[in-house]
Amino acid sequence: MKKLMTGNEAFALGAYQAGVVVGAGYPGTPSTEILMNFARYPGVYAEWSPNEKVALDVGVGAAYAGGRALVTTKHVGLNVAADSLFYAVYTGLKGGLVIINADDPEMHSSQNEQDNRYYAKFAMVPMLEPSDSQEALEFVRLAMEISETFDTPVIIRSNTRLSHSKSVVTIEQEGMVAVGEGGEAAAGERPVYERNIPKYVMVPGFARQRHPVVLERMACLTSYAETVPVNHIMQGSPKLGIIAAGVAYQYAREVFPDATFLKLGMVYPLPSELFKKLVSQVERVVVVEELEPFIEEHVRLMGIPVMGKEVFSRTGEFSPDKVRYSAARAGLVDSPLQAPPEVGPPLPARPPMLCPGCAHRGIFYALQRLRAVVLGDIGCYTLGALPPLNAMHTCGCMGAGVGVVHGMDRVGVRDRTVAVIGDSTLFHSGIPPLINILYNRGVSTVIVLDNRVTAMTGHQENPGSGITLLKEPTQEISIENLVRGIGFTKVDVINPYHFPEVVRVLREHMDCGQPSVVIARYPCILHTREKYPPCTVDRETCNDCGNCLRIGCTPISKVDGGVDIDGALCNGCGLCAVICPSGAIKAAGGTPATGINAGQANY
Amino acid sequence: MAGDKFRVNIIITGVGGQGNVLASQMVALAAGDSGFGVTVGETFGASQRGGSVMSHVRLFGGEALGPLIPKGKADIVVGFEPLETLRILREYGNPGTAVIMNTRPVYPLGVLIGETAYPSLAEVVEAVRRMSRQLQRVEATRLAQEAGSALAANMVMVGALAGSGLLPLAEEAYRRVIASQFRPELRDLNLRAFQLGVDAVRQNGGDGGKQR
Repeated sequence: MKKLMTGNEAFALGAYQAGVVVGAGYPGTPSTEILMNFARYPGVYAEWSPNEKVALDVGVGAAYAGGRALVTTKHVGLNVAADSLFYAVYTGLKGGLVIINADDPEMHSSQNEQDNRYYAKFAMVPMLEPSDSQEALEFVRLAMEISETFDTPVIIRSNTRLSHSKSVVTIEQEGMVAVGEGGEAAAGERPVYERNIPKYVMVPGFARQRHPVVLERMACLTSYAETVPVNHIMQGSPKLGIIAAGVAYQYAREVFPDATFLKLGMVYPLPSELFKKLVSQVERVVVVEELEPFIEEHVRLMGIPVMGKEVFSRTGEFSPDKVRYSAARAGLVDSPLQAPPEVGPPLPARPPMLCPGCAHRGIFYALQRLRAVVLGDIGCYTLGALPPLNAMHTCGCMGAGVGVVHGMDRVGVRDRTVAVIGDSTLFHSGIPPLINILYNRGVSTVIVLDNRVTAMTGHQENPGSGITLLKEPTQEISIENLVRGIGFTKVDVINPYHFPEVVRVLREHMDCGQPSVVIARYPCILHTREKYPPCTVDRETCNDCGNCLRIGCTPISKVDGGVDIDGALCNGCGLCAVICPSGAIKAAGGTPATGINAGQANY
Repeated sequence: MAGDKFRVNIIITGVGGQGNVLASQMVALAAGDSGFGVTVGETFGASQRGGSVMSHVRLFGGEALGPLIPKGKADIVVGFEPLETLRILREYGNPGTAVIMNTRPVYPLGVLIGETAYPSLAEVVEAVRRMSRQLQRVEATRLAQEAGSALAANMVMVGALAGSGLLPLAEEAYRRVIASQFRPELRDLNLRAFQLGVDAVRQNGGDGGKQR
């Protein structure tokens, strides 16, 4: 059967067919849809864990017990899970453990473009890199076999382009295909956990015994990499030899259709003998790889002259054009450099922005008015940093703002300070820094923007949603109970659409001189599709002050002598009406602050 | 079945939330069902929240193509919004590119708050015509409203692509795919929207659309 599949869909099918019984992960673009698709297969267990480290520990536990496990993460998520990755490499596992890690060259949805191949080398764990959806499907099974044969976790590296591109996949068999030795849990038997303290308890004495095991394993894997069929030479012209892997391989094929290729499906450990063989067959060797010179460094250390990063960029995502342009500039292809296309005057940019009716908008507008320094983290609400709100001032990684605000308060700055964090990122990594504020006698205020869902990545469930990835009802973790339980005594829950209350409570908290938490709670309206009658402008009353344009809401536009609200786009949240000084904007028929006007809402 | 040399590069572009990904899915599935090789490259993530988005759909016989269309190599641009159509055409178009464009603007924030100006529709149309082989204008948003929901403008545009005759795919192939991909309660709405798109380009001149 042939099917058009994204890389992520193919990974999920591959995991199902390989007999994975436990899948765990935390949503993160571009990896999110792997686990969402996997969870739909019959008989599997899949969960959103609060963060990637927990997910990896869950996967390790399943694999220790003999089940095949899948853990999914975006590249920066592996930073969070790194501690667990390193011990799992030492202990090895019984069932297969495959981590699918999606890098994000070009930072389409990320704060950096780290090249996670270095994790493979750093942690000493084998890494595969598929180049299309077909390989995505097949490499999961291969990774499981490697994991169980060599007693090691295996990382599969994807990236945004592979994960989100669709290509045709040939599916040889429906349903589950392979359940290898380690897959006994899938076969319905009650697995036995084999107690083996020296192998699984990494105290120094035992860990010292494991380090040589890891090195020996890597030596075996290095030999394996020389012969594994996913690493192979494709004969072409003897003039040029290209080494490439992943999506970069596809671009290189388009640009150098006649060259001899060494296509790598396994990017760590690297096959030195195959490199030597390629060198013996071609006049010149070029490495085409996105981001860091990972393969190039290895080849250079072997003493092989090679072209790589002096030709191709070390930043951003490749494309066929970029590869061609770089290659032409270096004289590797004859094709003349294309003249730049006709360019007219610059077009207005279109950055992403908060949705019309988003509950976060009023909070950021209030923080802007209160002139607060806002220490943030990652979610839809990071868009509060963009004009015209300009109301987030730092964003590094998930959970960061809560630690950062305490440090800033310890130094003491003139303006009010506040941390903002989402519900999902609070569960992810916001709790230890909250404890830190109390333990270390801090006075910071933290706003939890609680929309009951992990919105940015496409509305995944989280511990506050009351529902699991498998769509089972579950206990909702109460954020107010959580923070009160830690010991916060000043805690308020507010409706973010109730603007006067938002301003009053935020001001009071920031000025109170004690540690405090404000929970601004309203379910994401894009997710619930809640909608109210659109706001309208009375052009007679409007005095063209432009205040409503400062909240950055797309239905509101500047027109001659005033503003206009596009009723087709307006969600009817009413924020513009509340902040209009002349009362020219009307939110007739209810808003999320005043409650639903029955019969008109939700239409 | 297509010959080994057959290649068509299509870019579907618009604003996050307009249904780009779903439209590219329909075209790709219809092409796949009709025996063509297909790859699709998408942008989604942060840009879904009202930013510029594009989908690259590549049809081919012979060896599979990668997911990204090289600059200047789009054969067809399907634009859900005028400014985004022009943006993509500048980067990926060539004098042989055929364009199908929804004429309803969605203003970026800088324009809404009066910091930058949106070019007039006439200016966009003029620029697109100058840079392309042909332009078909479709009032997709209005037609979608006529079909039952402005959100179905993406299916109107798929219909316009189908009706334009630019791709060697039977309209029935699209209809089958649309019928199979939507929940029963949304199926008729989307099929209606598709048909309105087909009819709109037919009235414009049809069969590759000579309208300039």
